[in-house]
Amino acid sequence: MTNDVEMKENPVPSNPTTLTSHSTLHDLKEIAGLIETGAYSREVRRIMRAVRLTMALRRKLNSSVLFAFLSFALTPGSDAYTRISAYLPKEDEHEMEVDTATSSTQAPVKHPLPELEIYCYLVVLIFLIDQKNYSEAKACASASIARLRNINRRTVDVLSSRLYFYYSLSYELTSDLAEIRSDLLALHRIATLRQDELGQETLLNLLLRNYLHYNLYDQAEKLRSKAPRFEAHSNQQFCRYLFYLGKIRTIQLEYTDAKESLLQAARKAPVAALGFRVQCNKWAVIVRLLLGEIPERTVFMQKGMEKALRPYFELTNAVRIGDLELFKSVAERFSSTFNKDGTHNLTVRLRHNVIRTGLRNISISYSRISLADVAEKLRLDSPNPVADAECIVAKAIRDGAVDAILNHTDGWMVSKETGDIYSTNEPQMAFNSRIAFCLNMHNEAVRALRFPPNSHKEKESAENRRERQQQEQELAKHIAEEDDDEF
Amino acid sequence: MDPKLTEVSQLFERFKAALVRNDFDTCANLLSQLKVLLTGFRSLPPLFEDTPNAIHELTLARDIYEHAVILSVKTEDQDAFERDFFQLKPYYTDASGRLPQSPQEYIILGLNLLRLLVQNRIAEFHTELELLSSTALENPCIKHAVELEQSFMEGAYNRVLSARQTAPHESFVYFMDLLAKTVRDEIGGCSEKAYDYLSISDARQMLLFSSDKELADYIKEDHPEWEIKDGCVFFQKAKETAPCKEIPSLQLINQTLSYARELERIV
Repeated sequence: MTNDVEMKENPVPSNPTTLTSHSTLHDLKEIAGLIETGAYSREVRRIMRAVRLTMALRRKLNSSVLFAFLSFALTPGSDAYTRISAYLPKEDEHEMEVDTATSSTQAPVKHPLPELEIYCYLVVLIFLIDQKNYSEAKACASASIARLRNINRRTVDVLSSRLYFYYSLSYELTSDLAEIRSDLLALHRIATLRQDELGQETLLNLLLRNYLHYNLYDQAEKLRSKAPRFEAHSNQQFCRYLFYLGKIRTIQLEYTDAKESLLQAARKAPVAALGFRVQCNKWAVIVRLLLGEIPERTVFMQKGMEKALRPYFELTNAVRIGDLELFKSVAERFSSTFNKDGTHNLTVRLRHNVIRTGLRNISISYSRISLADVAEKLRLDSPNPVADAECIVAKAIRDGAVDAILNHTDGWMVSKETGDIYSTNEPQMAFNSRIAFCLNMHNEAVRALRFPPNSHKEKESAENRRERQQQEQELAKHIAEEDDDEF
Repeated sequence: MDPKLTEVSQLFERFKAALVRNDFDTCANLLSQLKVLLTGFRSLPPLFEDTPNAIHELTLARDIYEHAVILSVKTEDQDAFERDFFQLKPYYTDASGRLPQSPQEYIILGLNLLRLLVQNRIAEFHTELELLSSTALENPCIKHAVELEQSFMEGAYNRVLSARQTAPHESFVYFMDLLAKTVRDEIGGCSEKAYDYLSISDARQMLLFSSDKELADYIKEDHPEWEIKDGCVFFQKAKETAPCKEIPSLQLINQTLSYARELERIV
């Protein structure tokens, strides 16, 4: 904790900086201290906390604060300093000079830690992205990635995984994602070799995002199925992974698995990540419709999502009623939304479900109906509706969607009496699947009760406990903000 | 001009001439020579090196592979089609920024979609579909395949069959014929579940046979469980027997035991 002392000794800079920027600088210095202690004691959690704290400061950053911080963290005139500070816009020459001058006289001659250097890259990069200075951000990100390749320290992993994220983000914002694909793959390989699991997790997600951005589902699935899997380290990354997985599976028609992944992603995502949850819900609604389920009304009424989910609500309604005309008009009316969400091709697939629902309704309502009437009720627009209807009904019967018999000579569909469901094994099976679900949930909950390593060995001292509690509070507070930034 | 490029172009001209003559042996022979020669160019995928002749070479290579795909359709070789298509694909995706669009592109993509449909690889069909832009989806060749898939899923089989007449390109016909066979099996499968019986003439019409004898042969070969008597085809035997009334005791015991075990773990 020598750093704390050191920082208190720092006199208030003489130049007229505003109060906020001064306190921001102070906070940044504190974070730097945290990173140093973390690096020396090899405690990854301190660095994680530093990253979280940074996110809270994000909105307050400005270039003069950053210049001051850089000269504090890195020795002015050193290689790293000149390299990183080159990316910052030089808006305030005079003040900056004063700042560096004052700091350089005070800066203790210290060994520059790679962690601090990487952290400086991270802060500068975040600042550049927030300033929408994307070309500089790209240059800065690429430089930091090049630097990272030569550093192999576990304490850097947390910082580097954040850097990867912003690296990809800066390229995405200028829509040059395809450029960095091979770099990301190389980084993923490096992370795997160094057993940097957090890095692997982040990079895998970035790669999936990269592929899905260009609708390269095939490549994404091939990568996903071959990349090493392990227990998730970061909840956010895991949510994203589930979302991408759900998307891939939806496209490849594995609806049951897709639904599971998408719903889990939506549930696990933090409350603040509204945009992400809306996306998850959109896809989940479509997948459930494709499965022949009708999502409940509450899904569409979730707070803050009503407007975004409106097209999907209308779509659900059309499928529920089984009205092809309505379905067509909804699909046309919201086609731009569906195109934007990348769900257009999925809505095309839904047509078949609309017909099925309509058919089921007909078969329940009538014990015998002519095929011409079926065609009319389904509103099939084709040159030969009766023959079409006959084929469609025949297929529905084979797939078990309706229980009926066709009579070709008279052109009828005769619905079979619905048997007493309780005389079959059906209820037993339904109960079984529910019980299995509950038991599984319980088991997973037990398994999820994890304890930090070594907690039983040493009793925590009062100081440690205080720090831990403080950390937990911060975690709760910042996690929301962080997620907000990320999605 | 680069002598290697000239050699390839000349060989390719001979290949095209042979393809027009429908001289498939010569074609196959020339094609394998061409493919070997293409490996000598460093500007082609996967290297994509920026050589001075890059655009020319890429265009030529794309042209060659497009013809290779067409050839494979003509020789009705689905495996060769798949191979050649995958070799061609990088030219459409990765090199799209550098080359003007090929006039053949949509035909080839449509053919590929149709192939996936015929081979019943629906998941891959949809994966490919996602790669297409909305303008591509409007193209008649692509639209044809997409509508076919929809009709196929719905069960509107006669629409699938009538689509043969509206095929947007001559090379589609081969796959449409294959599709007709798949459709016949599908209709057969649906009919045996949906009808109790069909008159022979109706069955013949539905299953798209031109004579009763073909129908009889088909039944004998593919569906021996169908019965022909009194001028009708009966599907009775193919129906499942009455639902089993027996209690699935073993399954129930297993389930109950597992509940007991789990509950014990909780308490």
